[in-house]
Amino acid sequence: MINLKNLVVTALAVCSFVDFSMAGPFTKKSELGGFDGFVERMGAGVRELGRGNTGSADTASMPGAFWNPALLGFRENLGYTLNIEKRDLDRLGGAFGIEGKIGKRMGVGFAMLYRGDRDFKVIDDDDETMGTAKPFFSMFYLGFAYRATRQDAFGLSLSMSYDNLDVAQYFEGIDMEDSFRSPVTINLAWFRQWNAKWSSSVVIRNLSFSKNLSAKWTKNPSKDNSLASTEGVRPKVLQIGLGYRSKIMGKPVYAWMEALDYQVADTLLAFDPQLHVWTGRVGFECEIVPNATLRVGMDDLNWMLGAGYKFEIRVGRRKFPIEVNYAFLYETSAGLWSPFSLGLRGYIP
Amino acid sequence: MAGALGSSAFAGETLFSNYVFAVGPAGQNGTLWAFSRDNSYSGVTLLKFNVADKGTVLTESTAQAQVETDTLTAVQDGIFEDDLAERRRIPAVYAGSKFGLLLPMFAMDKNDRYLRPAGYYSVRDLNNVLENPVDAPSMADDLDKPMQYAMSGFAYDSTAKRLWIARGALGLMVHDISGKKSADTTFVFNLKAKKLERLKDNADLDLEKYPEIFDVRLHPETGDLWLATAKGLWVMSSGGLKQVSDALKDSRVTGLWMGGKPLQIIAETAYKKKEDVIGGLWRIYGEKAKDFAKVNFLDTAGKVQKKDIYDEADYTVSDVAFIGKTAFVLVRAVGGLISGYLKLDSLGVKAWEKDEDEKLQWLYGYETGATDRKATIMSMCAFPLSNNRTGLAIATYGNGVSVSADSGATWNVVLNRAKLSNNLGSIRMVPSVITPGDEALVSYKLGKESKITIEVFSYDMRKVRTIVKDAVRNADASRSSNPKEDFWDGRDDHGKDCTMGVYYIRVKDNHGHIGWGKAMTLGGSFR
Repeated sequence: MINLKNLVVTALAVCSFVDFSMAGPFTKKSELGGFDGFVERMGAGVRELGRGNTGSADTASMPGAFWNPALLGFRENLGYTLNIEKRDLDRLGGAFGIEGKIGKRMGVGFAMLYRGDRDFKVIDDDDETMGTAKPFFSMFYLGFAYRATRQDAFGLSLSMSYDNLDVAQYFEGIDMEDSFRSPVTINLAWFRQWNAKWSSSVVIRNLSFSKNLSAKWTKNPSKDNSLASTEGVRPKVLQIGLGYRSKIMGKPVYAWMEALDYQVADTLLAFDPQLHVWTGRVGFECEIVPNATLRVGMDDLNWMLGAGYKFEIRVGRRKFPIEVNYAFLYETSAGLWSPFSLGLRGYIP
Repeated sequence: MAGALGSSAFAGETLFSNYVFAVGPAGQNGTLWAFSRDNSYSGVTLLKFNVADKGTVLTESTAQAQVETDTLTAVQDGIFEDDLAERRRIPAVYAGSKFGLLLPMFAMDKNDRYLRPAGYYSVRDLNNVLENPVDAPSMADDLDKPMQYAMSGFAYDSTAKRLWIARGALGLMVHDISGKKSADTTFVFNLKAKKLERLKDNADLDLEKYPEIFDVRLHPETGDLWLATAKGLWVMSSGGLKQVSDALKDSRVTGLWMGGKPLQIIAETAYKKKEDVIGGLWRIYGEKAKDFAKVNFLDTAGKVQKKDIYDEADYTVSDVAFIGKTAFVLVRAVGGLISGYLKLDSLGVKAWEKDEDEKLQWLYGYETGATDRKATIMSMCAFPLSNNRTGLAIATYGNGVSVSADSGATWNVVLNRAKLSNNLGSIRMVPSVITPGDEALVSYKLGKESKITIEVFSYDMRKVRTIVKDAVRNADASRSSNPKEDFWDGRDDHGKDCTMGVYYIRVKDNHGHIGWGKAMTLGGSFR
């Protein structure tokens, strides 16, 4: 009963936080959607997607280099994850990660996130369809962690994006550039397992060595300067996560929440609330039968449902734990359903 | 000869390209030629119109043909960047069934730019877009730029069967078809002797001695040949050349147009003074006028103003069309995208509005409905729509052709458009790749009048922009978009440039229909 009470309190706290974060009273000076970084904002991993894209305060989240590089300090085996998401409007996404332990206290991991559009019609001024482009946007993460105590770990990841618009071939007379690479940005992270029930995380994303420590860079869409150069700005992010584990009627239940602050300005620190966009994520999961988990979550205004099943493959004397995950997504603002997200993850002991 | 690309299955919905640089009559009632150039491809469209009882122009059919040689075009590459008036327009003159529509022809120079005059086109029909190469004599190599001898005016004397062509520094060419064999002869204007001299092989092109000839016209009443030259306005007579205007004596007359009832003769003067182009608009109006006078600019009440549009910017004349007493003078600003036409009646150019800043608006164009998108107007002409009705047509850079059957009061836009499905069944962003500030038109079609909401979402489905909300749009046979509102400029709701990427445009009506389009912005500056 006490466990249930704790869970209810946590859920209420999370809901009130989400309510606050989404009903900000401030008029913003920018729309977050217009900024670089949607690949990062959309998360990685179908397991985490099914519970509202919450993953920073869970040592089992993968790929750790993306969610919270400090998590890599808790790896005991070589872990891998492979995910694919097919969203409405021809959007195809995916994530891949591999991570493991180095020495007794350290971990390292690599993650690749991919988002693309498989059917972008290139239409010219004459309203003629010139062809179909398949633009894609990817991010790469290389994470390192140091486990300072049994409860605490600190992490750092270096990230970089590579985008390809795939439209240059359709523009005559312009020596157009299709591919763009961002400079390396830095993400800092801390994770703490307070006790058997509570965990927390702090991740600061998208710091750079440029002015104001901003992840800002110039993109030149044409090789002959016939098109004006443009700028990419990926907002600095403060991501605070909280995790709670308990049992209800003997079944393990988990509650996750994350608060994210996006600083939509090219400044070191902006205190103007109009230059910040706050969002929240919440997720719950329950292992309804042994090894089978149901999930529900909310990322900003988007709703998710998820399911996962764990099993082992035995090869000789070795056991290889594997988890298959599924997620169902409803993107509320756009009114889009996406029922095709599948993920596979596991460990190689 | 060029091959016709075929008629449109959807009448009124095709042009060779929406980048139209010249329009001109095609000889028969309700027919119009449009010359388009889209990057490296050039072609003509023959448009046929009829007029409904209420005066609405209906497109009956369109058919296209590409020019035969794709390394030749009528649109030279300096049309926007050049600041000399005579090189900022494309002369498009209908010269009867013998020649059809006449247009200059340009070839590529050594830098692969269309800046080398190569002759002229004679567009007779879709299967006869004839290329008439004209070589430049060797002494033309001594000129600073080949464009100095670009063809900038045509006049066909059907009685004498002579086609006169103004060639700038190379004077005047006549293409004589009165004999069994056609013959080309080039003359230069000897200013001192006041006569045309045959260009000799070893001649020295001294432009002080032999001033450039920028335009040529046949007087519609007397049949005399008028020449607009770098040293005034001259008329050819049996004894030689005679100056016809004291007011324009020694002026650099860059363009000449004649027409209307009563007859108006309009002349443009333009010269460079340091970085500026000093332009002027002159005319003779009516029988009593003895000489050219500067055109008056009037306020909305009809009072003559001391300042005119030439005090606001450097304008050059692109074309003049005549309907009855009114001359429609199409002008375009040097070094900018401003364009529009002036309505010149017996008193002068009257402003149609005084805006909030007390500035008089003389230019007709996008604001007055001549185009439904902000596109530069490149060319204008009058053409017979029916036996008793004269139409006006304008060519735009990117927004096709506009046609009016009521002297510019209302316009019908003809565009190259893909077919759309009803009730938001297909949404097309035209074009689908933009940079901030460009306009991607949200193209959709409704089966019945609806209230439309258009929103833009990022890849992660965050709403970045509401373009219109519950805006009323009518059912339409081809598309229901309101081009003045239904476009995305690559910016968010706060006017900030969205970053490079793919964006998704949702169109919803109040009947439960939803359609999606996609656009890519190449990004802008972070402000």
